[in-house]
Amino acid sequence: MKTKFRFFASLLVLVAAGALVAAGCGGGGSTSGGGDGDFVSGAEAACTNANKQIAALGTPQQDQVTGYLEETEAVIEKLHREVAALDGSGAAEVAYTEGLAKAIPELTKMSNAARSENFDAVRELSAGLVRIRLGELAEAAHLESCAEVPTGES
Amino acid sequence: MRRLKLILVLGGVIALLASVGVAWATTGATTGYPQPKNVVPVTVQAPFENRYVLTAVGSGAGIRSGEMKFEFEEGSSPQFLVGISQFYVYSPTGEIETSLFTFYPPKALPNGKGLSFTALKIGASATYGQLTHAGELRLFNPEGETVKGELRLHGGGPWPVEFKVLGEEERYTASPPPARQIHEAEPNNPGWGGEPAEYIGSYELTNGAEDPTAKAGTLGPVIGVAQGLGVRGAVVSGGSMQVKGNPAVATVEIETGGTTRTFTLTKLAWQGDQRVAQVHDEGPDSPPVGRFEGTGGQGEVRGDLVSGHSVYKVAFKLER
Repeated sequence: MKTKFRFFASLLVLVAAGALVAAGCGGGGSTSGGGDGDFVSGAEAACTNANKQIAALGTPQQDQVTGYLEETEAVIEKLHREVAALDGSGAAEVAYTEGLAKAIPELTKMSNAARSENFDAVRELSAGLVRIRLGELAEAAHLESCAEVPTGES
Repeated sequence: MRRLKLILVLGGVIALLASVGVAWATTGATTGYPQPKNVVPVTVQAPFENRYVLTAVGSGAGIRSGEMKFEFEEGSSPQFLVGISQFYVYSPTGEIETSLFTFYPPKALPNGKGLSFTALKIGASATYGQLTHAGELRLFNPEGETVKGELRLHGGGPWPVEFKVLGEEERYTASPPPARQIHEAEPNNPGWGGEPAEYIGSYELTNGAEDPTAKAGTLGPVIGVAQGLGVRGAVVSGGSMQVKGNPAVATVEIETGGTTRTFTLTKLAWQGDQRVAQVHDEGPDSPPVGRFEGTGGQGEVRGDLVSGHSVYKVAFKLER
């Protein structure tokens, strides 16, 4: 009886210790700025693709600005959807995802102003995008491709 | 609150649009403009409450013809005038485009000379950002049926303007007749100085701002494009200029929002400290897309480089 009790007690201790080790190794989400592996690789892939699309747009002439803004808006919307789906939980990852979300309404306003040929307003509204400092947010989340400025044709 | 103000003002603009010109209905109420901070006596404003046609304008303004109307804001107390104009302007490619402006608020010119108004540009539809500060209109006291004045737009001018009062029933079925172009004294000495050694050489940009795209990641290019737009001066973050040849031609490189734009300046001319040139964006033989106007001397050139709808404020210094 005593032996049986000792066996179960040892088993219980082993199970508890195993659970503790598993919890320690598993990580339970990324820490602030630490960068979750899945999030980083997923976001980097999405950014690489988005950067390619934006670079391919080149530099528009005056009469192409509306189309350029609409296409950029579509690329950023898609990038936001893809990054948000990765469900980053670290503070830096959340901040980057939120930065993308903030950019979308700014781009919509810029497209609207361009459709009305109010190019002063387009330029003034772009200050909203500058304030997001998306590249810095990407750097903080260890997203190298997302921090890069796509290089287009001049 | 600012949004509400904008909506109110846009309401007024739309009401005014309905009242000014040819294709629009006869008269309409002007509503929605906030009471101005400066009160101008009604007796000073009243002589300007009329419909006008543009009869003469400084050639530098690029305006072919235009109509204008001033009326008192409905229900305002104390009363104040609001104006609306429809100008037909020459685009850089020589086509004629319509440009709408509203003039508000009124201010009295010193010594009772007349009134001045802030010129606000109106976009094509009433969405966000449709009213932008575009310049100033000064109207001197009417002389019979004529009102003379000065117009500043998009950082240029002042250009002289002359309007004729339109009769109650006087309407144009199409665009109004072309206004007489008043030609200003233009610099006509070739080059940008008396001796080529004064201006030939390599220049560096001295008024560069921080590159707004540097920390923008994927958004960098769109910021770059946007920052290069508009008539109130694109953000220039870097650049250079090479002036060479006889007749002298300047090659200007401007970095704006991460993008480098190259312009060629021909027909360089000077008079006193004035410096002007014609702007091309695809080499000296391509059609002109704008104009450079500025000042210079002693190895420096600064001014506005206009290309299409964009204005770049630049300052260059000759590298010795």
